[in-house]
Amino acid sequence: MSMVKTRSRGLRGRPLATTSYAEDMTLLNTPAKRRSTFAIILVAFGLPFMLTDDLLLVLTLGLIASVGAIGLNLVTGYAGQVSLGHAFFIGLGAYTGAVLGGDPDGAVLGYGLPMWIWLPASGVVAALAGLLVGPIAVRLRGLYLAIVTLGLVFLGDHIFRESRDLTGGPGVGRRGPDLVVFGFDLNDTGPVLGVMLEREQRQFLFALIFLIVFAILGRNIARSGVGRAFSAVRDRDVAAAVIGVDLTRYKIMAFAMSSFFAGVAGALYFAVVGVFEPGTFGLLLSIQYLAMILIGGVATISGSIMGALFVTSLGRISGEIAHFMPFISTTAGSGGFLSVFQLEAILYGLLIIGFLIFEPRGLFGIWMRIRNYWKGWPFSY
Amino acid sequence: MTPLAGLVRDRAASHPTAVALREKNYGVWEEVTWTEYWEQATLVAHALLALGVEPGDRVAVHSENRREWLYADIGITAVRAATVGLYPTNPAPEVYHVLHDSGSRILIAEDQEQVDKTLDAEGDLPELTHIVYLDPRGIRGRYDDPRLLSWDDFLAMGRQHRDQHPGAVDERLDATQPDDLATLVYTSGTTGPPKGAMLTQANVEFVVDVIRGREAFIDPPPNEKDLIVSYLPLCHVAERVFTTWFNAAVGSQVNFAESIDTVQQNLREIQPTIVFGVPRIWEKIVAGVQIRMSGASRLKRLMFGIGMKLSRFIGSRLVANRGKHTLVTRLAYAVGWVICFRPLRERIGLSKARYAASGAAPIAPEVLEFFMGIGLPMYEVYGMTENSAVATTNRPGRVVLGTVGEAQPNTEVRIDDTTGEILTRHAGTFAGYWRNPEATASTIDADGWLHTGDVGEWVDGTHLRITDRIKDIIITAGGKNISPSEIENSLKASPYIKEALVVGDRRKYLTALIGIELDTVGNWAQKRRIPYTTFRDLTTKPEVIALVKEAVEATNQRFANVETIKDFRLMTKELDHDAGELTATQKLKRSVVTAKFSDEIEDMYAGTKATGSAGVV
Repeated sequence: MSMVKTRSRGLRGRPLATTSYAEDMTLLNTPAKRRSTFAIILVAFGLPFMLTDDLLLVLTLGLIASVGAIGLNLVTGYAGQVSLGHAFFIGLGAYTGAVLGGDPDGAVLGYGLPMWIWLPASGVVAALAGLLVGPIAVRLRGLYLAIVTLGLVFLGDHIFRESRDLTGGPGVGRRGPDLVVFGFDLNDTGPVLGVMLEREQRQFLFALIFLIVFAILGRNIARSGVGRAFSAVRDRDVAAAVIGVDLTRYKIMAFAMSSFFAGVAGALYFAVVGVFEPGTFGLLLSIQYLAMILIGGVATISGSIMGALFVTSLGRISGEIAHFMPFISTTAGSGGFLSVFQLEAILYGLLIIGFLIFEPRGLFGIWMRIRNYWKGWPFSY
Repeated sequence: MTPLAGLVRDRAASHPTAVALREKNYGVWEEVTWTEYWEQATLVAHALLALGVEPGDRVAVHSENRREWLYADIGITAVRAATVGLYPTNPAPEVYHVLHDSGSRILIAEDQEQVDKTLDAEGDLPELTHIVYLDPRGIRGRYDDPRLLSWDDFLAMGRQHRDQHPGAVDERLDATQPDDLATLVYTSGTTGPPKGAMLTQANVEFVVDVIRGREAFIDPPPNEKDLIVSYLPLCHVAERVFTTWFNAAVGSQVNFAESIDTVQQNLREIQPTIVFGVPRIWEKIVAGVQIRMSGASRLKRLMFGIGMKLSRFIGSRLVANRGKHTLVTRLAYAVGWVICFRPLRERIGLSKARYAASGAAPIAPEVLEFFMGIGLPMYEVYGMTENSAVATTNRPGRVVLGTVGEAQPNTEVRIDDTTGEILTRHAGTFAGYWRNPEATASTIDADGWLHTGDVGEWVDGTHLRITDRIKDIIITAGGKNISPSEIENSLKASPYIKEALVVGDRRKYLTALIGIELDTVGNWAQKRRIPYTTFRDLTTKPEVIALVKEAVEATNQRFANVETIKDFRLMTKELDHDAGELTATQKLKRSVVTAKFSDEIEDMYAGTKATGSAGVV
């Protein structure tokens, strides 16, 4: 019986009954999700008018890092290919952006191109590098792949240190690209569309839109055929191959997509930071991103965002803790039992261990637990 | 008059794109518009014409509830033939009996399983010329019976016939007479072999009028916004009324459940506005709630406990108040709504139900009270195949618990003075049993009164209370008349008891055979760490016997001394349709079960009790 066509008309007030495949796969499939997502976005757009500038900067960086975390989650969370090389792709994106968009008259190379060129270009360059790494992943799995991608970080570290014309070299660094979006300078202060916006507010709003675009993109990749192929590869690559998933193609695709996200996030992140040096893109950065997706939630987009926001604010949080703990010094090398930086590193470790043991599904898992508690009311299962 | 198929044709013309049916396939509720519905039905009708079906011929349908059932039903009646429904659970000998007795010319069977039942028949079926199968798996390319025809080929035949004879179906349909046979409904046959009750187009029209009226069900009457989940066998008259006839009469949308096992899930997805269930379904929902609650967290159990206290209070007040709310019950309901009722009703799929009915068998008042307490407008109705399922109903604001309500509009109901038998008379009274004039004569008397076979009495002069089937009334050795079904229903209100059979005809005292509910008792045993292997093993556990004994004692409290159960035994197997212990509608066949457990029964009357006996003093 194939003559019965499916229409997407739906049943009002009955979110569990889907009358077409499209409806079944909708991004926000329940009214509750639609409403809460709308509310969260609304609040997010209101934040720059409520928070102080220093907090805004932390959140701006968190939003941009979220895009990088989504990228890592695509390859590691969804497709199950453990990658310690994320810092390399971020660095590649950052330097591509800096070189293409940087000051042409500066000490290092810069072409002064506008953002609509350097931002996508940074993604593309990183994605090309991802394409090169992809084939390795086809032949390796698990720990072996992790070691190879680890090698990538050291390779990148060496290249970034040595190419002084591009990166400024270790200890010196260079400036990122200028943040000018279609004529609006994000580093400027002044009215935009009739609203008075300061530099931090502008950057925050831009980062927010940037994240929304990439989060939707990530979600769409995850819920489409590509995303399901990724999951199949993750759950058992042999079985996936048997049911017709082209392993080579999807593993390479996962690395390329992930690297694209990392590239654009890297370029924008360090444009906001301002000056950065090659040592930034070491193993620690890779581990920070892994911490983001572990703490946030593996194979979830909202988890990536939660995790990225949390991990980027960790520095600020340990600073706040230091205020209450007299034995923690707030500057490096000024004595005391612990410095904030050490505290931050310890917190990373503790959080990663804690989440892996107690809440392997991350912040998203905690949220799911709360949601299911109420969703199941008055039952427990 | 407009015959059933005419109603579908009219609606296809007036609401071409509105949704008529939905069926869940691969997780998606596929929609069928009225145009498509009528299109498919006409193809069936044309195919039947092509196969030479004449007015008055019988065409059998043997399938689970699905879209094709309705296409077939409407197509069959459109060419003035009669639909004969078969229960999907019917074993081969019963299938043979129905096909043979009805003299069906064509059988529409769902799949290999059902086709096999017909092909395996011992005797021959001279009148059966074609077997149309819906699902070709296991049939196509393997079976070479010349009568077999696939559904696609069948429809193609219809399409070809339509091209050659456009308007042939309309012509046949417009010639429909009121006394045309619309369907043969085989009674479930608790006593003898199933008999085919003949329902005519006039009977159907009477039911359609009742459905459309304000008096019969709800105000506003059922309409095209109403959603119904179809899950009980469509060959049963009650489900036919709620699925096919409601749909044709008022345009309510039919949603086919995937199977009887997924009803709970499907109800939850669809949240129907009109729900019909047999007592077994309602009991199962209550038992399911209790099982899942027992595994809930402490806070949830506490909240549920409070909710249930409120619900019992509301339920009892509503019962006392004929189903009308008072200020106090409204306040209690508001509290309960927040903490428990709203989510609970959503979870069991009844949050949008504006009318729920229980019928086809007697239900324990406790079960009705539970649903009324959580805010479900639930009514017990009464009817039977022979009166097109229309006799009496409880109505909003006029509910008397324990009764089946007041007479339906244009329906006469009276109680025979001498026998106490309930008699009904209206235009929906069936035309007689198929090829069985003796049985017809003993059921419909000269004045057109239908003898229902049920004994009843009036409550408050308006509401009918049913005592029992005449045949089932127990007369004890002491000469006391006792209705076993009341006692049995009270027992079955316990979530742990699935079946109960009270014995005591011409005996000194009453005893009972009790079948436990495997789900709940198994769950209960696990919670108490009582190890068990099989159903049979579970029934021998002293703890389980003690558990049932508690329920029996609770029931005994509510009845007079002569009506108390003095002893009981647990049935050591689950009763089954295939083994002939239950009818297709899951009603217990007393004679079969009594014979099967005769040793246990005699044991209970042996005077000296065996060791480990479960006697109740």
